[in-house]
Amino acid sequence: MVKRLRATSALAAVILVASACGSSTASPTAAPSSAAPSASAAASASAAASASAPASVAPSASPAAAVPTVPTGYTELDKALGSDQPYKGKQVDIQVQWTGGELANFQASLADFAKATGITIQVDSVPSSHETVLKSRIEGGSPPDIAQLAQPTPVLAYAAEGKVIDVATFMDPQKLSKEHPATIGLVTQGSHIWGIPYKADVKSVIWYPIKAFQAKGYQVPTTWDQLIALSDKIVADGSSPWCISAGGPGDATGWQITDWVEEIVLKTKGLQYYNDWISHKVTFEDPGIKDAFDKYVGKIFFTPNYVYGGPQAIINTDQKTTMDPMFNQDLQAPKCWMQKVPTWYGPDFFPDQRASGQLSKYVVGTDVGIMPFPTIDPSQNNVEGSADTMMVLTDRPEVRAVAAFLSTPQGLQRWIEAGSAISPNTTTPDAWYAGAYKLQVAASIVNKAAGIGFDASDLMPGAVGAGTFWTQAVDWVNNNGKNTDAVLKAIDASWPK
Amino acid sequence: MAVGERTANPPLSRFLLPILGVVALGLCIGGVIILINPHGGQNLLAALYDALGNSSGATDLRNGHGDQLLAKVILAVIAVGVGVGGIWLLYLGVGGMVGMLRPAWRDRILPWVFVGPALVLLATFLVYPGIATVARSLFDGQGHFTLDNYAVMTSPEMVEILRNNVIWLIAATGGSVILGLVIAGLFDRIRREALAKTFIFLPLAISLIGASVIWGFMYAWEPAEQPQIGLLNAIIVAAGGQAIPFFTTSPLNIGAEIVIMVWLQTGFAMVVLSAAIKGVSTEIIEAARLDGANEPQLFFRVIVPSIRGSIVTVTTTIAIATLKIFDIIYVTTGGRFHDDVVANRMFHEMFQFFNDGRAAALASLLFVAVLPVMYLNLRNFRRQQVEA
Repeated sequence: MVKRLRATSALAAVILVASACGSSTASPTAAPSSAAPSASAAASASAAASASAPASVAPSASPAAAVPTVPTGYTELDKALGSDQPYKGKQVDIQVQWTGGELANFQASLADFAKATGITIQVDSVPSSHETVLKSRIEGGSPPDIAQLAQPTPVLAYAAEGKVIDVATFMDPQKLSKEHPATIGLVTQGSHIWGIPYKADVKSVIWYPIKAFQAKGYQVPTTWDQLIALSDKIVADGSSPWCISAGGPGDATGWQITDWVEEIVLKTKGLQYYNDWISHKVTFEDPGIKDAFDKYVGKIFFTPNYVYGGPQAIINTDQKTTMDPMFNQDLQAPKCWMQKVPTWYGPDFFPDQRASGQLSKYVVGTDVGIMPFPTIDPSQNNVEGSADTMMVLTDRPEVRAVAAFLSTPQGLQRWIEAGSAISPNTTTPDAWYAGAYKLQVAASIVNKAAGIGFDASDLMPGAVGAGTFWTQAVDWVNNNGKNTDAVLKAIDASWPK
Repeated sequence: MAVGERTANPPLSRFLLPILGVVALGLCIGGVIILINPHGGQNLLAALYDALGNSSGATDLRNGHGDQLLAKVILAVIAVGVGVGGIWLLYLGVGGMVGMLRPAWRDRILPWVFVGPALVLLATFLVYPGIATVARSLFDGQGHFTLDNYAVMTSPEMVEILRNNVIWLIAATGGSVILGLVIAGLFDRIRREALAKTFIFLPLAISLIGASVIWGFMYAWEPAEQPQIGLLNAIIVAAGGQAIPFFTTSPLNIGAEIVIMVWLQTGFAMVVLSAAIKGVSTEIIEAARLDGANEPQLFFRVIVPSIRGSIVTVTTTIAIATLKIFDIIYVTTGGRFHDDVVANRMFHEMFQFFNDGRAAALASLLFVAVLPVMYLNLRNFRRQQVEA
């Protein structure tokens, strides 16, 4: 596991690409955001709107098709893009868990390619039971041609069962590794590459109401001490600083708590320790992990009045509605002020858009902002990220072509331009990220980071990473953090032998 | 049956029937091919559109847009056609062939022809997976023989799960049967009995998932500053109490979930037991009255023993449903709060932890646990038949 993570700090380079756009929004060469394909991609639409001045300069220039230029370096992809369209009429089936705006962005990313090659790409969106349906299809012998997975662990599990096509057999592994330096290691075993990193997210961010912060004179904290001082000040001013959901309801309850712990471990103990923790060389009972629970996460979770609704609210609040109290009186008088949740969060979750289905009136970047999670130990300024992987399950020429396409920056271009995605491919042109506030912040965070750690619970064995780590963390919150030793012991005991 | 008549038919239909049979068989095979294809419905409709010159509609369909509903309806019609027509064809064809045999053979083979399809289906979808599951539970992920999958049942986590199942078995089954019996007894002599019983029976029409969602709103919890949207917590707060997060407080959550099951199953118990009570002969009841039995005595000493058979049937049926309980836990809490049960854990082990062996072991355990209850049920069934 550790070996797989060795290259992670290079994700800095990946997302760094996006940082350029921070300064280049005024450039007339910026990609026209009118290319944003989906109205439901709210995050993007609103973010793009906030910086639309330069974008609207060139609305007449029709956007070029989002397909890579031949030669791409991949045999089947070159063939597919040939003028004779050898794969015309063939069908490729991709199963994803995305729905709503994310699904629309994904389909938009495939549209130009489908048109250029004549390949029909069937997207199966299975939002609520994606993993279950996928497993049934794979074990039942009728898998989708390609499947998206948010965690690398099941990719490797399927690979161990011999169900996954090694993409290194038809794609140049050197090129693939060079272009995806940070993420390819997650799905690489020796000379085998079991998937294609498709989309990246930054988890070390806190969402907050920008204007209310300014009105109250609150400064965006950059260190842990400032964060605590701000939290205390907000309490003194009569509201709760934090909106926190454990990620529920029901079965999903717990993942957010693991993200909190992971964040702290990365920021207090560093990348090596973090990766050793994932491989269980460092146990949960190690003092470093215990401190993360007790001294840091516990401080936020259990200090009276810190969390809106108290610790009980953490495990009983729906992830979708966590931030609703922040929007009290049109974001003028937030009842809670900060939520730590990854960059994929956005207007899809804002109360007005949830209620009406129309685009939110709140703009990401002017109404609601993102701040980097403050540093704790300045020498350990690491960032947590996650990545979606495309797993190839059947071996036909047209499937190879689509898989290769998904590895190119163009495979995500429309989604990037919609302002909602970060490509793990380092050759992605800077201009695509123009005007996307969310990505600028993400980029600046990664830019300053010493290293990137991937979601630890996603990399631990399922029985821990999606099992006891969640249930025991929930138990810990349910007991107001008083049973840390028992909880950590129970997680260690559940580690598969 | 129809075989005999057919031989008397004029030669024309004799000629025509096999042709029709072959055509029907071809249609069936074509239908099965469409059904097996994961996107059969939409591809068929797309091909149809192409043939009709509506190529944009066809492209939309192939890309997962367009007239998906129509494609699904077509698929459903094909499924029903193949299912009903195919079985009909099978019986007709095989029955006809057997009919051509000598009478001695025909009598011997004919029963098997009719039971055969059922036996094949049973073997394919019940016996084979059952055996394969037990076999799978004896191997680890690398394919080595092991008993570890059963050994982990003694871990504290698993013991808790087994404990929860026992609580469910006793409380949910007992609660439903006792409530059902009491209601059946009380409602037996009220006016508008049918209406009253309808209210109790109605929840049975709701799926476990639906009921869990409904009760999710009943139990909903909001932070103290917010208005309580859950009925129970709204009442508690209105009475001056503090809102209780029902689903995340252990062991209260197990009780909260059992209530859902009882709400659903009481109607079933009530209906069966009520019918049984009505079946108790009035002579026995009058005799008891003449002997000076008061109402409780009459109910517990006369009526309940008389409907013992029905009580056993109801109890075992609900007990089996309770042992296999999954939906309620999955929807309400996912078993994340010390309220997990065997079936939900089996699902987690299989689809989230990728421990197929352990999931198989849990499935086998559940199967073994259900067996004695099934035996009780069957024995009772047989005894009732003898009595009748």
